Amino acid sequence: MANSVADNKRAVTNNLSTIYGRVPTIGTDKMRVTFCTDMDKSVIVYNFEKRGWTQVGPEDDWNFYWAVTQSCRTIFSVETGYRMSDNQTINHFPNHYELTRKDLLVKNIKRYRKDLEREGSLLAERGDGPGKYLHLDFIPVTFVLPADYNMFVEEYRKSPQSTWIMKPCGKSQGAGIFLINKLSKLKRWSREARNPFNPNLTKESYVISRYIDNPLLIGGKKFDLRLYVLITSFRPLKAYLFKLGFCRFCTVKYDTSIQELDNMYVHLTNVSVQKHGDEYNSLHGGKMSVQNLRLYLESTRGKSVTEKLFANISWCIVHSLKAVAPVMANDRHCFECYGYDIIIDNKLKPWLIEVNASPSLTSTTVNDRILKYKLIDNIISVVVPPDGVPDVRWNKCPSPEAMGNFELLLDEELAAQDERDNPTGKFRNQSNKWK
Amino acid sequence: MESTKEIELQKTANKLTDDIQSMTNYKNLYNEIQRLVASRAVRKEDFKNTLVDALKSNGLETELRNTVFHWARTQGPLQREPEPLMPMLEADLSYLKRAQIQWERRIQKSLNSMCNELNVPLARIRFNMDKDELAEKWDELSTYDIDLSQYRPLYAPKDFLEVLFMVRDPSFKKQPGEPNWEFSHIQIRVKTLSQLRAMYPELSHGVPLLGVNPHMTAMGNYLNLEAERTALGERVLASNHAPIAQEFLKRGAPRAIRGKLWSLVLGSIVKDNDEEYYEELKSLVLQYDIMVDKLIIKDVQLTASNDDQYFVFEDVLYKTMLCFSRDSEVLAPVTTDRSAGGQVIHAVLQGKPATLENTLVFPPSGVIPFHGFTMYATPFCYLYDNPCTMYYTFRAFYLRYWFRLHTVSSHEQGIVALCLLFERLLQCHEPQLWAHFRNIHIQPIKVVFKWLMRGFSGHLPPEQLLYLWDLILGYDSLEIVALLAVTILSFRKENLMQVNTLHNIEAVLADLSSLKVMPLLQLVLLKE
Ligand SMILES: Nc1ncnc2c1ncn2[C@@H]1O[C@H](COP(=O)(O)OP(=O)(O)O)[C@@H](O)[C@H]1O
Ligand SMILES: [Mg+2]
Repeated sequence: MANSVADNKRAVTNNLSTIYGRVPTIGTDKMRVTFCTDMDKSVIVYNFEKRGWTQVGPEDDWNFYWAVTQSCRTIFSVETGYRMSDNQTINHFPNHYELTRKDLLVKNIKRYRKDLEREGSLLAERGDGPGKYLHLDFIPVTFVLPADYNMFVEEYRKSPQSTWIMKPCGKSQGAGIFLINKLSKLKRWSREARNPFNPNLTKESYVISRYIDNPLLIGGKKFDLRLYVLITSFRPLKAYLFKLGFCRFCTVKYDTSIQELDNMYVHLTNVSVQKHGDEYNSLHGGKMSVQNLRLYLESTRGKSVTEKLFANISWCIVHSLKAVAPVMANDRHCFECYGYDIIIDNKLKPWLIEVNASPSLTSTTVNDRILKYKLIDNIISVVVPPDGVPDVRWNKCPSPEAMGNFELLLDEELAAQDERDNPTGKFRNQSNKWK
Repeated sequence: MESTKEIELQKTANKLTDDIQSMTNYKNLYNEIQRLVASRAVRKEDFKNTLVDALKSNGLETELRNTVFHWARTQGPLQREPEPLMPMLEADLSYLKRAQIQWERRIQKSLNSMCNELNVPLARIRFNMDKDELAEKWDELSTYDIDLSQYRPLYAPKDFLEVLFMVRDPSFKKQPGEPNWEFSHIQIRVKTLSQLRAMYPELSHGVPLLGVNPHMTAMGNYLNLEAERTALGERVLASNHAPIAQEFLKRGAPRAIRGKLWSLVLGSIVKDNDEEYYEELKSLVLQYDIMVDKLIIKDVQLTASNDDQYFVFEDVLYKTMLCFSRDSEVLAPVTTDRSAGGQVIHAVLQGKPATLENTLVFPPSGVIPFHGFTMYATPFCYLYDNPCTMYYTFRAFYLRYWFRLHTVSSHEQGIVALCLLFERLLQCHEPQLWAHFRNIHIQPIKVVFKWLMRGFSGHLPPEQLLYLWDLILGYDSLEIVALLAVTILSFRKENLMQVNTLHNIEAVLADLSSLKVMPLLQLVLLKE
C-alpha cells in the first residue's frame, strides 16, 4: 500500500529488461529508492544521497526510514495503524527498550539466567558465593529502585565498604548519575527527592549498580568502550560487531578517594560529560580506537589474555542479545544498531554497563566523522539486499564484501545450517562459535 | 700477511677490553663473573676450561657476546658500504660539516634570543616551590600548570628543510635550466633499487612476512604464520642472542614479543644500575630549571597531547623527554659523531659566579628539541608499560638512528642521504611523477620531508609504524624509510597526477591510515 508506486515502477523496469532481453545488473535497476529521516545529521543524509536515494517526508512513500525512537513508536503504535510494505525498512525494533532501558536489561538478563538454570544449561553454572554465575556474570550486580530497595540493602550490608552508582532509568549521557558509598547518602537522597519510595506516585525509577572501582587504567585514566552492534533479526538472531569501536577516556586521573566521589570527570566516561571539563581536548575528543587498545594490550600484556578479553566481550554482547531475543517483537522490517558501553576492569574482565538504542551520531573530531560515516555506510550495506532495494523477503545474509567493517558475531540460521551439514562439529565456521 | 692480521686482531682485542670497562653494564658483568669464579663450578686445576664451560652454562657467555655485539655496533658504520661500481674519488664533503656548524650556531642564537625576549635564564637552580610541585606531579605532568603561551618551537621540519636546500657543494657548477633544489649534486653514495633489493632479500624474495596477512598458512603444525613466528620468536628470546633477534625482526615481530626483541637487539634491557641512573635523571630535572624544559613540555603539548593515537601516553612522554634532556650519556655519541658540528653550549646557573661547578652543558644531553621531537619517543609507549624500560629503548633507538635526522650530515644514514636516496629513486622509477612535480614547480622532497625526518612517526598508524621500525632494526638501516616514501607516492600516483598545487598534493598524502607497510614494501622490492 504505502509503497505501491515504487512497486509498480519496479515491475515496469523488470518488464522492460525482459522485453529487451537484458539481464538487470546491480545498480542499473532504475527503481527510485526513497529515504526519510528526522535526525538532522549530515552523515545520514550524505550516505543516502551518495546511493542516489531521494529524500521524502514521513508521510510519503519511503523505503528506508532513519528515525528517532519517538517516531518509531508512533509508527508501530496501534492507534496509528501504519502497515509497512515489503520494501520498507526502519532502524529500530518496536520494543528495543527491553534491551536499552537500564532496568529492563537487568530484568531480562536475570530472567535469562534463571531460565538457563532451570533447563540445566552448563552456561548457568554457579560461581563462588550466592547469586554468582561463572559465565553469565557480565553485568555489575544491579537493583531497581524503589522496587528492589530491600534486596539492595541486603546486598549492601554484605560489603558496606563498596561503592554504588545510581542511574535514572530513563536518562542518558550521564545525566542524573551519582556515586554513593554510604547507605545514609541514599537515604538522604530519597528524602530530598520527595517520596520516591512511594510506589503509588509515578516517580522516576533508578537502577543502583555495584560500582566497578577497579577499572583498567591507561595513562592513569578510566575509559570505557563504545562498540556498535548491528542486529538484523532477533529470531533467528543475526548480530554483527563493528570493528572500529573506540575507547572514551576521562580527562581527569582516576582516583577512588571520597573527595573525588562527586567529580564526574573522574568517574563518568560519557563524552557529553567530559567535553565540559577544562582538560577536554577537542582534537581527539578523548577517543582512542579499539584497534590501538588491542595493539597496546597485546604488546604489554600478551596475546592470549588479550584474545580472551575480546572473546569475553563478544560473549557478553551475544548473551545480552539472547537474553532479550524471546521478548523482542521480531518485526522483519526492522534492524537496529546498538551502542554498547563496556568497562574493562584491571583483571581484564569486561563488564556490560548499558546498551543504547540511539548511539550518538554527532562527530566530535575529524576521525569521529570518518568513523560514523563508515558506520552508517556499512549498516546500510548490511541491511539492504544486494539489488539495493529494501526488501523483507531477502534472507538477510550479506556477502562478505557487503559487511565492510562489520564482522559476524552470530547468525543462528547459518549456525543451524552448519550443524546440519557438519553434525560432528568438526568444520564449524564462525557462525556458531557461541553455541 | 698473517702477522699484520694478528696484530690487527690484538689491537681490536685491546680496544675492546678497554672499552668494555667503561660500558655501563661492566660492573654487573664483572660481579657476575667473580661470583662464578668463586663458585664450585670453576676449579683451580683446570681454570680456563671450567670457567668457559661455566660461562656457557649459566648464560654469561651470551651476555658477553651481546656486549661485544653492541660494542661492535657503536664502532663501525651502520652497514658496509655498497661496492662502488667505478672507483670514485672520495668526495670532499666538508661543506656539509660547515653547514651543520652554522646550523647549530643558528639554533643556539635563536635559543638565546628567545631567552632574552622572555627574560628567562638558560639555566638556574629550580626554586623550591617549583621543585616540590614538579616532584609531586611527576607522574601526572599534564597537570603541571605553567604558562607556555610565549614559547614557540625553535624550528620545525620545514625550517630545517630550507637549511638543507641552501647546502651547496662549492665545487659544483649548476647547469643552466637545472632547478636549484635537487640534492643530486651532493656526492653521498646512495643505493639503487637493485642494490636495495639485494640488501633486503627477505622482502625482495617474497618470503612470508608478518603484517601482510596474519592468517597466511604456516610451516609445520602451526595454525598460521603469526603462531609460527611467535613460537620461533619465543625461542629467539630464550636464546638471548642479540644478533639472532635482529635477524628475526627482518620478517616482522609479533606484537606480544616485539618490546623484548627490540630491547635485546638494542642492548637496552634494564638492569639495576640503569634504574638508579634513571632516578638520577629525574632528580636532575627536579634540581635544575633549564629553558629546554619548557620547549619539551610545549612540544609534547603540540604533538602527542593532540593526537588520538598518543594522548593517553602524555604523562609518560613528559617524563621521558625531560629525563632525556638531562642524560649526559647522550652527549658524547651525538656531539662526536661525524654528523655533528660539535657546538656545545655551556650555561652558567643564573645568579651564581661563573665557576666550573656552576656551569653545565646545555642541555646536558646536547640535544635541543624541535617541533615534533617527541614523536621519536611516542611509538615506544605502545610497547612498554614501564617508563624506565621505555626510556632506555627509546634512547638506544635515538642514538642508533634518529639523531642524524636533524643534522646536516654526510653520514649514509643521515637525513641528507635519505633525501638524496628518495630523490634518485623517484626520478629513476617514477619518471612521470618526477616530471609532473617539476612541471608544477614543487619539490617532491617537500611533501615527504616530515615523514623522513620523523621516521613516519605520527604519520602511520602505530601498528604499521612498528612494522616499519622492525625493519629499521632488523636491517640496521634507515634506507627503508626513504623507500617507503617513494612507494607511497608511487601508490598514490594517479591521484597525484591530477592535482597541481602543494595544498592539494598534501591533501592526497595527508591520510596514511589505510596503508599496509609490509605488503607495500614487499611489492616494490619484489617486482623486477
Ligand atoms: N557500574 C559501573 N561501574 C563503573 N562505572 C560505571 C558503572 N555504570 C556506569 N558507569 C560509568 O558511567 C557512565 C554512564 O553510565 P551509563 O550506564 O552508560 O549511563 P548513560 O545512559 O547516562 O550513559 C558509563 O559510561 C561509565 O563510565
Ligand atoms: Mg552510556
